[in-house]
Amino acid sequence: MAPGRYARTAGLLTVILLAGVALTADALESISLKLGRVAGPGWTVDELESRLVWRDAQRAALLLTATQARLPEPLGTIGGLQLDCPDALIAADELACSHARLEFSSERIGPQQIRTGFRYRFSDRRLQLDLANIRLDGGRVSIKAVQAAHGWDLALQADGLQLDALAARLAAAGILPVLVKGVGTLAFSAQLKGTAARLDAGQVSARLQSSQFSDAEGSVAGENLELLVDATVTAHGASWGLSGELSAQQGQVYIDPVFVDATKTPVHASTRFDWHPGRRRISLHSFDYDQSKTVRLHADGSLDLDAPAPLEVLAVDVEEGTFPGLYNTYFQPWLNDTVLADLHTEGALAGQLHWQDGRLASARLQLDGLTINDREARFGVGGLDGRIDWAGQGPARPSQLAWEQAQVYRVPLGRSQLRVESAGSSVHLREPARIAVLDGELQVEEFELEYAPGAASSWHVDGILTPVSMSDLTRALGWPEFGGKLSGVIPNVNYRDGELAVGGMLLVRVFDGEVTLSNLRLAQPLSVVPRLWVDARASNIDLETLTRTFSFGRIEGRLDGRVDELRMESWRPVAFDAAFATPPGDKSRHRISQKAVDNISSIGGGGLSGAVSRSFMGFFKDFPYDRLGLSCRLENGTCQMDGVAPAAKGYYIVKSRLLPPRLDVIGYADRVDWESLVSQLIAVTRTQGAVVK
Amino acid sequence: MKTLRIPMTMLLILFAAACVTINVYFPAEAAEKAADRIIKDVYGEQPAPSQGPAAEPQSRLQPESVPARYRYSLLDWLVSPANAAADLSVNTPAISQLKADMEQRHRQLAPHYASGAVGMTHNGEIDIRDQTLIPLKDRNTVKQLVAKENRDRGALYTEIARANGHPEWESEIRQTFARRWVDNAPGGWWYSSASGSWKQK
Repeated sequence: MAPGRYARTAGLLTVILLAGVALTADALESISLKLGRVAGPGWTVDELESRLVWRDAQRAALLLTATQARLPEPLGTIGGLQLDCPDALIAADELACSHARLEFSSERIGPQQIRTGFRYRFSDRRLQLDLANIRLDGGRVSIKAVQAAHGWDLALQADGLQLDALAARLAAAGILPVLVKGVGTLAFSAQLKGTAARLDAGQVSARLQSSQFSDAEGSVAGENLELLVDATVTAHGASWGLSGELSAQQGQVYIDPVFVDATKTPVHASTRFDWHPGRRRISLHSFDYDQSKTVRLHADGSLDLDAPAPLEVLAVDVEEGTFPGLYNTYFQPWLNDTVLADLHTEGALAGQLHWQDGRLASARLQLDGLTINDREARFGVGGLDGRIDWAGQGPARPSQLAWEQAQVYRVPLGRSQLRVESAGSSVHLREPARIAVLDGELQVEEFELEYAPGAASSWHVDGILTPVSMSDLTRALGWPEFGGKLSGVIPNVNYRDGELAVGGMLLVRVFDGEVTLSNLRLAQPLSVVPRLWVDARASNIDLETLTRTFSFGRIEGRLDGRVDELRMESWRPVAFDAAFATPPGDKSRHRISQKAVDNISSIGGGGLSGAVSRSFMGFFKDFPYDRLGLSCRLENGTCQMDGVAPAAKGYYIVKSRLLPPRLDVIGYADRVDWESLVSQLIAVTRTQGAVVK
Repeated sequence: MKTLRIPMTMLLILFAAACVTINVYFPAEAAEKAADRIIKDVYGEQPAPSQGPAAEPQSRLQPESVPARYRYSLLDWLVSPANAAADLSVNTPAISQLKADMEQRHRQLAPHYASGAVGMTHNGEIDIRDQTLIPLKDRNTVKQLVAKENRDRGALYTEIARANGHPEWESEIRQTFARRWVDNAPGGWWYSSASGSWKQK
């Protein structure tokens, strides 16, 4: 309520009482006055009557009634007005009434019985007015107002105000549109000081309890929330000094897209800032935010709301960020369309971020025992410690990262550390890094990363992979386990536009022979459908080791082969052109066991499983052969098969020598469904049980 | 006049052939069948879809006035059998993987389709329709599910087009799926029209 209205009310009372004072001179014991309609600017009172009964020279009982009063907004019209003051002090220098009752019925706030009191001093025109027990929106409100020459004081106290009714009232009065709807109560106390129409200082404490509230879209909502708010405002000349404190100890609140469960992680925030309305500037002296088990930070800075980049300076000191709370509450909601959308996190970080003219100018982060694991198992890192130092301008700054263990897909990387230097939008390695890959090591000689805001990043690595045990690697990848070593010189690994290209060659020493991988490319490596292209060459593979490893049935001899243009999607082959055969002029011993022959014939889908062992040929444990081989060109899920030489209506998979016992294996199926071929192969190698080398 | 009539007839035949060829170019029926196979797997066991969709006119390959018996012979005559038999392959490892992920995710999403919190959009994706129907603590989880589902659906449409050697079919496959997601859905679920307004099935 504006102080001006008190002044007018006080004026009206004064007129009536002075009339009474004037009449005491005639020593009347009681006076009744029927004033009829009394009006002023913006208000009228109808059928105003007053009755004054003198009790002694200075004391009287005052009764004031009116049938109706139209008061300025937002008070509206009231009816049945009655002011009963049984003990009014009417002295030459003072008018007072300490225990009065005011009754009326308002179209806005219903029937009211208000305890009231007032005191007016003529000498300094000091008016004091108390109104208690005003029924408003299911609650009670009390007002204490003092108007004096030096200014005014107003104290408000409210309890049990129903939020839905209050929101509707504020909306009807045009003060605040209905932002949220819900069930809850508000209690507050406020002390305001001012001069004339100006507020000099104010202090508000409020307690809001809501079992449920939400806006229409559900983007601001809460449940069982209890909020405590304290705020003060002080005028300093043309600017305002504001400070506030907010705490939530229980309940849940959702402010799209942030969800805070204050019962589990109580929140406390406080701030102090100056607001210069004329210059439209905010000087933020401090902002402190503390959410338990999540984040504790301090910020200060300044904003110029009229500038193109309103944020002039902002320094944020994240004193402590705790995972998983920090990620789950404040990072994840913005990362839904990235590879970081679903992470399991642990550990802590701290950091200082500095914005200048609307841009992040520098950042310094300390990572402490961080664990980040992708829930889709594509990557992960554990025990990540480090210090990241970055600035948009100026000399390069050193950063370092160290981790206990990490993993890319299912390949574990051991404890390693990286020392890098960053300047502007590029990062490069300060010294060669060694990253343990299983029992081998990836020695990174050079690493360069370029990124630009809004553009895809690109990076470049030169490195050497020292031998990695294939048995460890295959076990990690969940493949059938086999021995051998993987190594390679990878001089030129480039990542650009979502595609990783590996220059150089990877060498796998396996089964006493060699497999080389070249032209390796990987597109969208961490996406839903990663794609891989590679060419492979195999030479001098020892078949005995190979067949023993996969429990295929013993074959002796050597094998060469090629897989051209192998294309994998989601890590499964969709196309390739492959051929494996006994190398020409191979001098090694060529024998194939009965079991291997049985297995080969069962895979072709001929249903000849066990044909050899059941026939008289079962007498022989193994057979000599001249050449063996198989080729498959995979396309559209179908394998176009061929062997080492054409045969009548088919092709030789195993071609015998001239001398007995002679055994030829001839394939007839030229087109085989790839998926069933793979499942048959798996079935054959599984039935005999895997041999762990 | 006679000399003119022959080229006219030729032109008409060519025109007719061209029309049909364009229709067959994207195998709409095969795409619907392929979509239905995937969608039914993703939706899993659920009450039979209501018979509602008949009310919604769908694009058809052939004019309804031609009796079904003659339609195929007409097609066979005009188009080489290899083209007419066009089928959509949906059996690649990537598609199987996407479908498996979507099946698994569907179990978490199904209650939100039923409540009306999540609806199907006209471009073959899903969207939060009314987040007030989702408990506060689950809102971000559901948003995450929706984002992942849309990521996988986009990849699925691209993969089907790519697996069939026609990356340019992606938008038609997406449109086909958009229709079939709705048609195969149980009654009560929500879907949006191209204008963005929501309707309940």
